[in-house]
Amino acid sequence: MNATYDVVIIGGGISGMMAAITLVGCGKKVAVVSKGDPVCCFSTGCVDVLADGENPLKGIGSLPEHHPYHLVGDKGIAEALGLFRGIMSAEGIPYVGDVHANRRVLTSLGRSKVTCLVPETMDFSDIDPHESLHILSFHKMKDFYPQYITSRYAKAAYSTFDAGVTTTVGIAERFEDSDFLDTFTTWMRGLAIQEERIAVPAVLGRGSSGAVYHRIGGECGRTVFEIPTLPPSMPGLRLFGGLKNAFLRRKGDLYWGRGIYSVEKLGNQIEAVTLTGPGRSTRVEGKAFILATGSFVSGGLQASRDAVMETVFNLPSYLPPGTRDAWFQDDFFAVGHEIEKAGIRVDASFRPLGTEIENLYVCGSILAFSEVMKYRCGHGMAIATGVAAAKACMGAYSGI
Amino acid sequence: MIRTDVIIIGGGSTGCGIARDLALRGIDHCLIEKGDFAAGATGACHGLLHSGGRYAVNDPEAGADCIAENTILQKIGRKCVERTGGLFVRLPGDSKRYRDTFLKACDAIGITTEELSPSRALDLVPALNPSLEEAIRVPDCSIDPFRLCMLNITSSQKRGGLVLTHHTVTAIIKEHGRCVGVTAREEITSDVKEIRGKIIINATGAWGDRVARLAGGSVPITLSKGSLVVTNHRITNMVVNRLRPASDGDIVVPNEAVCLAGTTSIPVTDPDGIGVDPGEVDIIATQAQEMLPDFAATRLIRTYAGVRPLLQSDGENGRSISRGFRIIDHRDGLFSIVGGKLTTYRLMAEKMTDTVIAVFGLKRPCRTAELPLEGQEELSGYPLSKRLKSLEDIVCECELVTADAVERVAGQVGTRYLGDIQHRTRLGMGPCQGGFCTYRALGIMQEKGKMTPEESMGMLRDFLQRRFKGIKPALWGDQLREEQLIESIYLGILNMEQEQ
Repeated sequence: MNATYDVVIIGGGISGMMAAITLVGCGKKVAVVSKGDPVCCFSTGCVDVLADGENPLKGIGSLPEHHPYHLVGDKGIAEALGLFRGIMSAEGIPYVGDVHANRRVLTSLGRSKVTCLVPETMDFSDIDPHESLHILSFHKMKDFYPQYITSRYAKAAYSTFDAGVTTTVGIAERFEDSDFLDTFTTWMRGLAIQEERIAVPAVLGRGSSGAVYHRIGGECGRTVFEIPTLPPSMPGLRLFGGLKNAFLRRKGDLYWGRGIYSVEKLGNQIEAVTLTGPGRSTRVEGKAFILATGSFVSGGLQASRDAVMETVFNLPSYLPPGTRDAWFQDDFFAVGHEIEKAGIRVDASFRPLGTEIENLYVCGSILAFSEVMKYRCGHGMAIATGVAAAKACMGAYSGI
Repeated sequence: MIRTDVIIIGGGSTGCGIARDLALRGIDHCLIEKGDFAAGATGACHGLLHSGGRYAVNDPEAGADCIAENTILQKIGRKCVERTGGLFVRLPGDSKRYRDTFLKACDAIGITTEELSPSRALDLVPALNPSLEEAIRVPDCSIDPFRLCMLNITSSQKRGGLVLTHHTVTAIIKEHGRCVGVTAREEITSDVKEIRGKIIINATGAWGDRVARLAGGSVPITLSKGSLVVTNHRITNMVVNRLRPASDGDIVVPNEAVCLAGTTSIPVTDPDGIGVDPGEVDIIATQAQEMLPDFAATRLIRTYAGVRPLLQSDGENGRSISRGFRIIDHRDGLFSIVGGKLTTYRLMAEKMTDTVIAVFGLKRPCRTAELPLEGQEELSGYPLSKRLKSLEDIVCECELVTADAVERVAGQVGTRYLGDIQHRTRLGMGPCQGGFCTYRALGIMQEKGKMTPEESMGMLRDFLQRRFKGIKPALWGDQLREEQLIESIYLGILNMEQEQ
């Protein structure tokens, strides 16, 4: 099988999908090749932009000079986040928040976490320790233990509902069933909850949680919010589902469950990639390629005992100086391990440095110096660089 | 105040073995351990039940003890010893003369050997380096050291032995020049207990000298750090040794669902706060890879180090010092038992208990070599098929531990710490090293009222620090991927900060 595209994107995470949707939105023929569920499915679904300070966009200027955000600029970041919100709203998963203001959400350990844009189901998650809170938990739920939270809040209580299943995804699945939802709301009304707010682990439905969320809020007459859980996390899965559907709705081609088997180059151009997978080999040609395979955790980068390599094109990768001992700090809680700086360095139009290849662009957490954990800029950086790389690609290839 | 006849300090294999022996001979005793069982060298070794082959050439006395004890433990611990068998493999370039010496030495101390052709050896362990010259089969076995301690303690507790884990001995009480008791402080509550006894046994391994000093004595030991790495699956079902004089990275031991490879030998002065150096991991991995080429591509999930308490002798390095043991009578009611190995723990306990019996002027023979270890009937062993009774409610996916199992252990008297659950269920021992299940196990313990949320947060924090310390020296490849995920969970999704 052979197929030809304007742009082939390798990696179906947030940055790859945002690049893809940007390109199909401009009428380009686009393919996304993805090995499987991206790492954002493991995330809280919240869009961290930059955790430091009140206004994340203001903080961009003080990031180290090689941080990829500088290639996009605060205006570009705000635009990209606006585009993201539009896409997600159209998919029935609206995001709330202000790109100029950080906010807090409650975590499953009872801590609060700084983020920027959140799914509407977490809109009321910024809770004051003095407010009263009632948590609706589930019997034997594997990844949620309300005591972690109630112990930190003076006026917090919890009740436990038996959903008949114990996994996050299993319970979320049950909420898609209207009979189950009826039983749940009846039980909830029976509790006659007095507390001001109600929190639920993030299991309110699989796809768009809006209907379940608003029904529960309406029935109890309280503000309700979801608490993101350990992976697999429903808000993360919903986020990815939304982007994937948006791409497919715009007639993009998704090669799912496929890796890159080989790369064909002619001169300074990548011509095509052949995909791994069952059956006959699939050859995908493109005028331009975007690499969005993520960092180590997603497999875009791979470390050996003393080196780091990029796994698709074998691009030259930046590795912090020193031996492996210097890659990490000794303290687990000290964010900012040196190894996080590893990745691909790019020029102002997101083309990798140190290679002859001209029609390749790079975006997302595989970019060198992104240091996502240190700056808490994961999804924001993915969205911003994904859109920017797509624009750079279109700018350079007016023909595509 | 607690009164007993014998106070044992140290809950490693020696201390637990002594407790069992005393119990079987009807002597009242109390065992005090500052952490959990097997927290020192016992739990930080490779879980090898030596055939004695490793010592046959250089330390025949220790080798002879090993093969005798190996045979006894196979008999009394039928369900807790895995009879893996072991190979000593000779690779191209390894001395053929050493092999001849080795065979003679084994023969002299009664270790059964069988010479195997390369193809026969490859039949037994397909992952062996195919260019091996030959292999010699010996009766090496593998054993879970923690479990061994627990089984020994079972005999003690069944007969009224008192066990205080998580109690640090802070002082040895002396009256008229004799040791008459100790004070011990509980780890979390800091409650201090006084325990009085007629004899005090110092079985604290690498901490032996420190404890002896509490009574004004000393113990001549040399400390040697040995580091090991854990693979995420079994590469071999037999113990694989290198047929050459003992050196770094010459052994791979299958243990439960993983393999342990080691070791190194580095002199240290302080038994606390030791760690593994990335360079040691590289040495072990490179050496293991020579015997088992697949090792190069195998994911390492953890590293750890233990401190060998070796009998002191001048001018010898850690590898050549005898693995024999000694009982030191401090002549004030305190006895120290030093040196030895996990494999010879029972013999050490027997000799120590004989000494106690003699002091008390009694005649009660040792029966620990005949009676099977109590409590092993319940052990399942490593095959997954036996652990897969139920797929429901699994909280530790790597080791297939169910919520019920965690709740059962959490509900037992004495379970107070995360480690209690980890050791007793193998929770958190798999590839993610507790990254997912620890949060769950602590959640369950809170629900059971076993600890306050503050305590559980403290334990989670400690756990993550210790875990990272163990993983960090071997962080590359897939384990680095896993680590980024775990980091994003605890520091990102849960936003767990270090300090309140």
